[in-house]
Amino acid sequence: MHAFTNRSSKLSRCKRLLLIVLVSACAGLKAAESVSTTPEYRVKAVFLFNFTQFVEWPARAFSEPDSPIIIGILGEDPFGDFIDQVVQGERVNSRPVRVRRISGTEGIAACNILFVSKSESGNIRKTLAEVRGRPILTVSDASEFTRDGGIIRFFDDDHRVRLVINNEAAISDGLKISSKLLRPSRITTASED
Amino acid sequence: MGTHPESSADKLRVLLAPTLLIAVLGLPVPIEGQSADAGQTAVALKQLSVEELMNIEVTSVSMEPEKLLDAASAIQVVTNDEIVRSGSTSIPEALRLADNLEVAQQNSHDWAISARGFNANLANKLLVLIDGRAVYSPLYGGVEWNVQDYPMVDIQQIEVISGPGGTLWGANAVNGVINITTKAAKDTQGLYVETGVGNELENFSTIRFGGTVAPGICYRVYGEYTDRGGEVLADGSSVSDSTRMGRMGFRIDSDSDPATKLTLQGDLYSGLENLGTLGNTGLNGGNVLGRLTHTISSGVEISAQTYFDRTHISQPFAASPPAPPYFTGFPAAPLTDNLDTYDMDVQLHADLSERNKLVCGLEYRFTQEYDRDLSVVRFVPESLDQNLYSGFVQDDVKLSKDVSLTLGTKIEHNDYTGIEAEPSIRLRWNPAAGQMLWGAVSRAVRTPSRYDRDLEVVSGLVNAPSPYKFPTDFLDGSSSFESEDVICYELGYRTEPVAGLTGSVAIFYNVYSNLRSTTATTPTTYYPYPYPVYFQNNLYGETHGLEVSTTYQVLDWWRMHVGYDLLAETIRIEEGQTDATAATNETADPRNQAFLRSSMDLRPNLHFDLDLRWIGSLSIGNGPTGGPATGEVPSYTELNARLAWEINSKIELSVVGENLLHDHHPEYGFPGAGREEISRSIYGKVAWRY
Repeated sequence: MHAFTNRSSKLSRCKRLLLIVLVSACAGLKAAESVSTTPEYRVKAVFLFNFTQFVEWPARAFSEPDSPIIIGILGEDPFGDFIDQVVQGERVNSRPVRVRRISGTEGIAACNILFVSKSESGNIRKTLAEVRGRPILTVSDASEFTRDGGIIRFFDDDHRVRLVINNEAAISDGLKISSKLLRPSRITTASED
Repeated sequence: MGTHPESSADKLRVLLAPTLLIAVLGLPVPIEGQSADAGQTAVALKQLSVEELMNIEVTSVSMEPEKLLDAASAIQVVTNDEIVRSGSTSIPEALRLADNLEVAQQNSHDWAISARGFNANLANKLLVLIDGRAVYSPLYGGVEWNVQDYPMVDIQQIEVISGPGGTLWGANAVNGVINITTKAAKDTQGLYVETGVGNELENFSTIRFGGTVAPGICYRVYGEYTDRGGEVLADGSSVSDSTRMGRMGFRIDSDSDPATKLTLQGDLYSGLENLGTLGNTGLNGGNVLGRLTHTISSGVEISAQTYFDRTHISQPFAASPPAPPYFTGFPAAPLTDNLDTYDMDVQLHADLSERNKLVCGLEYRFTQEYDRDLSVVRFVPESLDQNLYSGFVQDDVKLSKDVSLTLGTKIEHNDYTGIEAEPSIRLRWNPAAGQMLWGAVSRAVRTPSRYDRDLEVVSGLVNAPSPYKFPTDFLDGSSSFESEDVICYELGYRTEPVAGLTGSVAIFYNVYSNLRSTTATTPTTYYPYPYPVYFQNNLYGETHGLEVSTTYQVLDWWRMHVGYDLLAETIRIEEGQTDATAATNETADPRNQAFLRSSMDLRPNLHFDLDLRWIGSLSIGNGPTGGPATGEVPSYTELNARLAWEINSKIELSVVGENLLHDHHPEYGFPGAGREEISRSIYGKVAWRY
């Protein structure tokens, strides 16, 4: 057991090193991405951050009173470092807000908000099955997301970003969405959307 | 206004001293959230309520919200912010901000503007559209820059594409297309008033009001008045060419039904250009345009547009006294040109699949042009109706994740030359994020203007002693004048290597044929004159060049821009043919141009902009004696500067200096006593919005 943990931590150190190399190699390109984050995803990034203020998570969602609210981005990242700028220095009820890029189902459980990118649209049901029952606010712009049991879907309404909210799904996962967010949004249930 | 060099330099010093002092003392501070993309920053967006966020328009109204980095052409976009911060007070001035244009001011009101060369007198290879309305003149194929204007604050952007645009826009988009777009009415709500005074731009005022009739239906109305002083000659003596111009207009946009958008807009203008003792040239005109855009289904959009435009010019000409028995003389008479244009256009955009986007359209244009017989300059027939039918189709196919191919053509039919085709093929490749390589081959044509076909410059000579004969005309259009055409080969590269740094490079090689020549009549024993000289298509040639444009957001509060153009032109006479001007009359272009601009926010509410340009010397034909003589416009360096202080969210004060480095300098025209020079201009402005 001890040996295993040791190996695993070495592995993760190795991974981390690789990551640093990759990140620095891509620094130029990443920076370029922030400039080229489209207005659409700038607005969506700010929505993701705003959700932290309009959603109440059950106590079990956090281990400590000051553990961070984690926004996970699953799949190809359309926000670039714009979303990092959005959450930088922000605290919601004394919790800092962090953004994590994740791939595969690993790491999903640690998220409080999970944005499922368009690149994952083939795996939505699988992803949602993974999340079901956990207090995770699932968000996507994939067209059948709320019908498949996801909670919030972005949709384009005359070149503007609007929300469809499956409040039943939110309630069943233990999340309480503020009426401030519900009022201007379209409310749906899995069966009718 | 006469400009005395001493006094104007003194005046300048007085005005500039505090400006420079502020520039030096004002320790720049970084501005929270200010970036190249102002208004879309994290800080700004986070301050919005959920409802406000839901109201931000995130994709362009156009079906294909093309990012600049994805555009496979030598396109440059001048934004409203850049226009306002340059202190430009007219569209031609604002066009100096596009590196890929040649812009030369001739006098107080006339400009020579072209892309990729051929900026001769009556330059004719550039197509200009204002909100989709073509404004080039079928009289000579050029643009009456003196009457094209709009309140600068309400211009959304100016898109300048150098290189052929015939496939989408049709004839005359030979060397470039300029698309000027005004703001939507909903973006110009409230009251805006500006007024200013200066030495050259003597006084000007704009008033605009925008309101909302019902949810989704917005309007604006505006009026503006400009009074420009005359320019000067090389010796500094003033010229009577002052201009007064008044303009008003409106725009209504409805998007209450998101699937169906409607725009109705119109403008009216009236102006006078002083011609000294001769009186004034009168300029009047107006237009009204309607556009309907309907989204049929996701990815399928149809738009229909129609407009009417009237342009009226009345320019007095002095009488030529008769000299019996050989010269009849000419009475004083105004040259009158009245052009009515009726245009209708339907376009369909359809995303056939994720990877295949189609756009096609049909257009019909009817022009009715009347040019009054002036005895000396005639257009025959005096009144001419013309029909232009055209259709185009263009398909954009994504060949792989990184490679796209755009193929298309326009086919049009005009009354002078019949059917013309303007195909193009474009390929773009994104080798990595933030990089794009593109290449294109395209054909474009310039169809004949009335000048090429219908012109007669009468000699007035009679009673030649027998057996001699006098020429009846000096210069004639020719019914055999055909379209000029170009095949253009282009390569370009755009990159965004690090945050805030964008660069683009384009190179081109153009092959022209059937260019306009002036053929002289062969003299004979009893007719020892080369007249009439008449237009033919006996020139051909090549041009090549380079266009570089780079913008760098150095710091949050400081943006730099560098641009450079190289242009080489070789024009030749077809073998066995002649040209009375030795192939010098179609070009008047600098070989090199360079631009350096700096845009600073010294404080969040204190903006300081500098615009330095260096324009190489150019050789110009069409001198007073005609023939192959060319003269030079020397190279020059000039500097514009603007300092603006937003006292609060409602009031802004600014002081602008244009062409600060010289008392006056020439930019265009055959050298000689009559060539006008452009004076240093300084003005102050108050802008108030409520």
